[in-house]
Formats: sequence, C-alpha cells, structure tokens
Amino acid sequence: MKITDAAVCPFPNGDSSVRRFALEAAALGLDSLVAIDTPSATYGSVVVRNGVFLRKAGMKDVINQVKRGKDPSSVISVQAGDAGFNRGVVGLRGVHILRGVHAADKNAFDHVTAKMAADNRVAIDIDLSVLIAARGVTRQRAIQRYRDVLVLQRRFEFPLTLSSYARSVLDLRASREISGLCSLVGMDMYDVEKAFSGVDIVTATPEPSVRVVE
Amino acid sequence: MTVRPPTLRDKRRYLLVRVDPPGVPLDPKELYYAISDAVTSVWGDAMAAIIVQAVICVEGRYAIIRCRRGTEGELSIALSTVTLLRDTRIALRIIAASGTIDSLRDRMQPAIRNPPANANEAPVPEYRFCGKEYVPVHCDGQKVDVIEKGFKNTSRLFLTTEDLETLNATTIPDGI
Repeated sequence: MKITDAAVCPFPNGDSSVRRFALEAAALGLDSLVAIDTPSATYGSVVVRNGVFLRKAGMKDVINQVKRGKDPSSVISVQAGDAGFNRGVVGLRGVHILRGVHAADKNAFDHVTAKMAADNRVAIDIDLSVLIAARGVTRQRAIQRYRDVLVLQRRFEFPLTLSSYARSVLDLRASREISGLCSLVGMDMYDVEKAFSGVDIVTATPEPSVRVVE
Repeated sequence: MTVRPPTLRDKRRYLLVRVDPPGVPLDPKELYYAISDAVTSVWGDAMAAIIVQAVICVEGRYAIIRCRRGTEGELSIALSTVTLLRDTRIALRIIAASGTIDSLRDRMQPAIRNPPANANEAPVPEYRFCGKEYVPVHCDGQKVDVIEKGFKNTSRLFLTTEDLETLNATTIPDGI
C-alpha cells in the first residue's frame, strides 16, 4: 500500500520547493505526493506525480482540458459544483478526482453521482486542510458533509483520496496524524488505508470487462 | 490541603513534540493557550476537562505536554490542528509518548540541548532569485530555510541544498 497525499502545492503556489516537500513527506511516513502544476519526478523514496486541478471551470473547459492532457501519469481533478455539473464530471473519461465536495451545495453529491463515481472509478477527495485549519461552524459543516459522503461510500464503494492541500511543509501531516484526523469524520483504519491508496486505484489501467482467451 | 497518596492520583502521560520551523521563539504560556484553544475547538469543553492538557517544559524547539492517561489519541489529534503561535505559523510534530518526563528528555536531540559555541560565526551566504535576496536562517542536512533579506514582509521559504545549487547554476525566474 502506498501512502499518498493527493494534493500539495509547491513553489510558486506555496513557500516550499517540491524537493523539500519530498524530504518532509518521507520523514512523515508518506510514499508519494500529487503536486499541483509540478512535473512528475522521484526524489529519494518519494514519488511525486503531476496534478492538474481544474477550479471554477465550466463543463466545456473541463472537457477541453481533459482532452488536452498530454502526460498520462497526470492526476486530473475537478472542483465540485452543482449536482448537474458533478454528474457530468464524474461521467467524463479522464477525470480522476472530484474535489471540494464539502464546499459544494448540500445536495451536490447525491446517490446518483455516488453510483456513477463508483462505476467510473472517480475518487472523492477529503480535504484535510479544512479539518486542520478551520474552526467553528466551517469545520463542523465539513465534518457533517464528509460523514454524509462516507455513508454513500460504504453503500457504493467509490474510491476516496486524502489531501492536505499543503502550501508549506508546515501544513503536511504524518500518516498517523492523518488517521487521527480522519477518525473525526468517522473513518476507521481500514477506510484510511484504502483512501491512502485511492490515487493508485483511480490511475491504474482498468481491467477489461471482457477477456479474450485463446 | 494534603497531597494525595500516589495510588489515588490520576495517571498521566507525556508527549514530546517538536515545534517546526526551527528558530521560532517559544513561550510556554503562549504554547499552552494555542494547544488549549485547539483541544477545546476539536473536542469541546467537556473533553478538554478530561484531557487536562498542560505544557510541562519547553527546551529549544521541543516541548513536553502532559495529559491524562488514555487521552493521548485525542490530544495528538488536537495537536495536529495547531497551526499558529501568536501570528507565526508553526507545526507540532509528535515525537514520542511516555509515562515519565525523564525518558522523553533522552529523545531530545543532544545538539539542540547543547548548541555549538561558534555556530553563528561562519559567513552567511546570500541567494538571489525571483528578483529578491534571501539569506539562510536554518540548515539541517539537506534542508535549508531561507528568509527574504530585510525586515519588512519577510517570508520564509523551505528549500533544499539541491534547490540552491540549481539556483546558483542557472537563473530560473519563476520556479525552483
């Protein structure tokens, strides 16, 4: 099992270089990182994958960006919008992760979208930065929304990913701390282990439904 | 009030935490307020009263934090949500948990407890990138923290020696 942080933002989006992120990640027990707008590379024992994050984009923009994606190892993620947009994105081939579900409308991620996400192997992201940095009502709403997502996840079994959205190495958390934070939203150890390998699940080549036997 | 006999006292646990980034001046009282705020925010007043967190001591960039036995998990979750001390961004890294303070003192890095006498006398190199000048403030193995030169709007960057070598070899205006 690879322990992956599904979103970090190195320099110039943050204050830490990607190499420093890799060093700190190794010290904190992480195996791989998805770095937004950063080329894929391996630093020591840590694999850094290129992440493409489409924010506040319309459906047409998302389709164009996904088609334009040249690097096959890139992890493409889209910020969640309303229910119709989310269904469209989840059904789109090439999208790996739907992010920001906690900030979307209450009914933006429903059972239909959950079923589609499970069928198309699109992961739903759990943003740890809200659990870490937010206080009061904002954090309560996020926990409430993630608990709701987990109810759907247990029913439909779509993949989950865990992201720290770290802009600095100070925002990174150790794997044990991440497990603790996930327990706030009702995830047990098994759920957390599966979520750590969520990026590998969504980027793996799908097994064909029909196999030719000669 | 007489002191309770040991069998009637609450069992305690102690957590050793390292405060990142290095060089942040640590005041035990301010650290206590930051931790207390985080515990109350995550677990509420009732659970905070059960955890009974306290900062026992601060040595260099290490702190020993006390809690009631059995609540180490809750305290460590709360510690991972501490991001600010006054207006300075910090992260608390939990190193170890123990039933005695003595065993935790052994885990503190000896170099931090006894800093070398001539550590600050070496000439400080300067680096220039993105149109700004930076000076290193902390070096630890491959890790180098640099800070913008000057006393206004100083922002700390977390880099590596390899990044600085790349910067010296080539001029990269907008990327490291």
